[in-house]
Amino acid sequence: MAAARTAEERADLATRPGYNSWVSVLVRWLFIAVSLAFLAALLIAPVATVFAVAFSHGLEAYLASFADEDTLAAIRLTLLTAAVVVPVNTVFGLAAAWAIAKFEFHGKSVLITLIDLPLAVSPVISGMVFVLLFGLHGWFGLWLERHDISIIFALPGIFLATMFVTFPYVARELIPLMQQLGNDEEEAAITLGAGGWLTFFRVTLPRIRWGLLYGVILSNARAMGEFGAVSVVSGHIRGLTITMPLHIEILYNEYNFVGAFAVASLLTLLAGLTLVVKNLIERARAAQGR
Amino acid sequence: MSITLDQVSKHYGGIPVVNDVSLEIGDGELFVLLGPSGSGKSTLLRAVAGLTGVDHGSIALHGRDVTRVAARKRGVGLVFQNYALFRHMTVADNIEFALRVRRMRARARRERRQELLRLVALEGMDDRLPMQLSGGQQQRVAVARALAHKPEVLLLDEPFGALDAKIREELRRTIRQVQRELRITTVLVTHDQEEAFTMADRIGIMNLGRLLEIGAPHELYSRPATRFVATFLGAANLFLARRTADGIRMGAATVAAAEPATDAREHEVVAVVRPEEIAVAETPAGLGGRFIASGVVDEMVFSGAVERLRVRLANGAEAPLLATTDAAAVPCVEVTRTQHEQRAFELHPGQSVALGVRRVHVLPTPLSSFTACDASATAAAALAREPLLAVLAGRMKTRVAVRPEPRLGAADAAPSAAAPFVGATVISCAPHAAQRTEWLLRHGAAEVLVLPAHAAVPQRVLIHWMDEAVRRATLAVSASVLRHLPAEAMYLGVLPEETRATRRPGLRTLLSARAEARELHGLELRTELVFGEVAPELARRLAEAPAQMLIVGVTDLTRFAERFGPLIDAGRWPVLIVYRGDASSGAPAP
Amino acid sequence: MSLRAPSVLPGFGLTFGFTSFFLSALVLLPLAALVVAAGSMHWSDFLAVILSRRALGSYRLSFGASALAATINVVFGFMLAWTLTRYEFPGRKVIDALIDLPFALPTAVSGIALTTVFAQHGWIGRYLEPLGIRVAYTWLGVTLALTLISMPFAVRTLQPALLEVQRDLEDAAETLGAGRWYAFRRIILPTVLPALLTGFTLAFARAVGEYGSVIFIAGNLPLKTEITPLLIVIHLEQFDYRGAAALGVVMLAMSFAVLFAINLLQSWGRRRQVRAAH
Repeated sequence: MAAARTAEERADLATRPGYNSWVSVLVRWLFIAVSLAFLAALLIAPVATVFAVAFSHGLEAYLASFADEDTLAAIRLTLLTAAVVVPVNTVFGLAAAWAIAKFEFHGKSVLITLIDLPLAVSPVISGMVFVLLFGLHGWFGLWLERHDISIIFALPGIFLATMFVTFPYVARELIPLMQQLGNDEEEAAITLGAGGWLTFFRVTLPRIRWGLLYGVILSNARAMGEFGAVSVVSGHIRGLTITMPLHIEILYNEYNFVGAFAVASLLTLLAGLTLVVKNLIERARAAQGR
Repeated sequence: MSITLDQVSKHYGGIPVVNDVSLEIGDGELFVLLGPSGSGKSTLLRAVAGLTGVDHGSIALHGRDVTRVAARKRGVGLVFQNYALFRHMTVADNIEFALRVRRMRARARRERRQELLRLVALEGMDDRLPMQLSGGQQQRVAVARALAHKPEVLLLDEPFGALDAKIREELRRTIRQVQRELRITTVLVTHDQEEAFTMADRIGIMNLGRLLEIGAPHELYSRPATRFVATFLGAANLFLARRTADGIRMGAATVAAAEPATDAREHEVVAVVRPEEIAVAETPAGLGGRFIASGVVDEMVFSGAVERLRVRLANGAEAPLLATTDAAAVPCVEVTRTQHEQRAFELHPGQSVALGVRRVHVLPTPLSSFTACDASATAAAALAREPLLAVLAGRMKTRVAVRPEPRLGAADAAPSAAAPFVGATVISCAPHAAQRTEWLLRHGAAEVLVLPAHAAVPQRVLIHWMDEAVRRATLAVSASVLRHLPAEAMYLGVLPEETRATRRPGLRTLLSARAEARELHGLELRTELVFGEVAPELARRLAEAPAQMLIVGVTDLTRFAERFGPLIDAGRWPVLIVYRGDASSGAPAP
Repeated sequence: MSLRAPSVLPGFGLTFGFTSFFLSALVLLPLAALVVAAGSMHWSDFLAVILSRRALGSYRLSFGASALAATINVVFGFMLAWTLTRYEFPGRKVIDALIDLPFALPTAVSGIALTTVFAQHGWIGRYLEPLGIRVAYTWLGVTLALTLISMPFAVRTLQPALLEVQRDLEDAAETLGAGRWYAFRRIILPTVLPALLTGFTLAFARAVGEYGSVIFIAGNLPLKTEITPLLIVIHLEQFDYRGAAALGVVMLAMSFAVLFAINLLQSWGRRRQVRAAH
């Protein structure tokens, strides 16, 4: 985040005649108190609850939650989904960013709108559209049935739905970044005789690496955590098409709170890790002066 | 008086950014605060505006003390370097802002707005948005806005910084006009000396948080009192010369001074010769008795109306000495000549010429240079590299000479060389420093600085004089030192314990000391009176806090080492002794 | 192929082609399926579905709660942004980083966690219960959940806007005689107004389609605490694809409208900041 008031500015203001009147001080503390209370109730309490409930029956019960075969299958599926979806998103993000940031052409805004679209669409709809395409009564339903290929209620459907929801993240991180960085260095490389791929790997990639990393991390977190879209396409087939978020729902509805929150704690840690990485990246960027 | 500042100080983290500034600005005057960046001038302006508080001192506007008054109640108008216009409001709304706050009716506001727009030559621009205006126009709106509520004082913080040269000139003229028409007291802050010259009624020059000199532009230019002002206001050649009964001796030549001597004795001074006051001829004869040196033309630059030359002085014992920090550098002099002079005598690089001076101005500062003195040459050279000494010499833009004295401090010995001690003599805080000091003072040194190893840059300087006779000299030396150190100045008056009942004469001396410091030497002085013995009291105050320095003036050298031994030999603070007396007898001057 | 400006750089064909293919296959095609499915319905059937009592009830909840959540986020988000940009207090940097958490946290996790906190015997619920305030299983809970997940959008839009208000402006207002409250009303608020509106719209857009974090806390009683996305899922489970598609189209239309509004607001905001006219 950009710099807030510097320490010098604050020291200056503190000495200003008439500044530290009791009204100002009151307002200041009120704001801080209300803001913190708001965050505490809405954000910190829930996160704390996750761990509180997960460990409410002790460490053993917590660890035992993961011994369950269904839970392990859910974890495996989530990891697999991320492993498939995130690389595709990354490739798409790089390609889209290259096309959009480096060239001028008609229809650019159409492309950008399409990229932003999944973010504005409800996850339920994101899942539903694939059911409409590949479901039994969908467009390709009969063709798939005849060839005995399952997309909906099977892994491919989950991958597609997750991809739909998360592909914008890498692109949205890279496009403004590459636009800001401009074409100068790449053009210089080309005129010096480098080929396209070489230029990309040696010139572009190093400059965008922090933005790329953040986009990938974020895309990963969203992919692992996606609920609505996957819920619609998965069919909830135990041991087969249940991801971690879906499993959390099942455990919760079965009143297995320790189990539900134990699985939730893993995803929460992942979210926390994402934040930490984001901050490290920002610090690295600031140090680089970019 | 429109604006009165009394010993205004502001500290940031212990360092005084504005250091005891006192100032009086008259009604309707356009006063310019001039100084390099970091000199504290903007901070001072913001303090006058009320946007930042002061740690010490008072600010009065039109006789009203506003030190603790909030900015919005002070009745000032402030113009910022980056205009600070409200971008979501039109020009009209911007200008009327102060009036809206004061709940003026729409019609009255409109009238005043028209008046102001006419004043700054922006009629018809009422409905424009700031982003639709050029930089110069935006600044005019800012001026109009600042004047809307008829403030008593107009403050401008480097208002032309963001503009092109041409626009700058136009705007300068506009502001001068507006200021004259409204007869409003104005303070302008800038680092541009040309701007200061063209706009100011009086200029106040600041450096390192201190207000160094105040005066009309041409006064400050032709008769600067300090090295800093001399070199800041324009190019200047600084020479180390000797003031004698006949005039100023520069090298082998003696020329007449512009002003009469203030001090009877012969001593080293800093002489300022502006490049345009140097005459160039083929031979010394052509200079009519004003010859000072021969040299070779090194560089020539054509600069439109003038020609700038750099002349390398011929080395030798007869050449005048330049006051530079780098002893090894080749002595060069800057000369500028008009087209007229060029046509009279054309020059080319490599040509040998004779230089003469038309006008020499002697700086009244008593510290002309430093001489590091020790028993051996290597020790003296090491002393010359002491950090505090290097800082002082660097800021004073003067050199540190090295002078080995093998018999330094020995009771019956005489100095090795016949040459007198010039400038301030510096010795280290080795054992017997007090003895050595006495020795130097008896043999002609007027100022001796005892410097402990790795002395820190002082944050406070204590000043004392043993006798009223040496007060002026001590204050002059202190002022010189304090101009180059961001330190607080404190005069400690010490009266015998018995006189505690009759304190009044003591207080009177304090006040007159402070007045003299301010008026004659441009030094802001804090004062304090204590009762007891001189040396122990001074030692006690010095021991209170780290990073201090002592300047003490004496007229009587009897039992010097005994009396001042403890202070000097303590080795924890630099001590500068100022002596004005009869050197041979050690008795006070008649 | 679209007309484009000539360029030294290679790879346009490859990247543009891949991007277009990807977007067509993954975005356009599915959306087309949605529109077609809805369009294959008879007008009367279409209207019957989207205007059924249950549907109307769900709109009221989804859009109403989203609007309320967005409003709460703008108010508290402004307070948060103000606090983070202007005040210094221990832990400020940590708090600043935490704002992004709802962005990275899976919705199901937020859902069950919030429900637990605000349930009858939850950490906060237990204090609200005696006051007669029931959060869980009511529209209040829905609003809270939506507030949580859309919070970063409001705060992160407001922070840069507040930072943009130059310090000089406030100093200028002070010297011109304005008190702090006056300066706030007349100078700061107008300057951040575009950001306030954008923040509201972004938060609203995010909240409207939310599913995962809401269904746990909502209770999902038809006509009372049923959100539109849930209604869609119910239609799907009953294999009423067309009905689901119809409702989907309504939500999509709403999303487009909001997207459009966001773009308009952003370009309006940009125009206000633009420097020289030409």
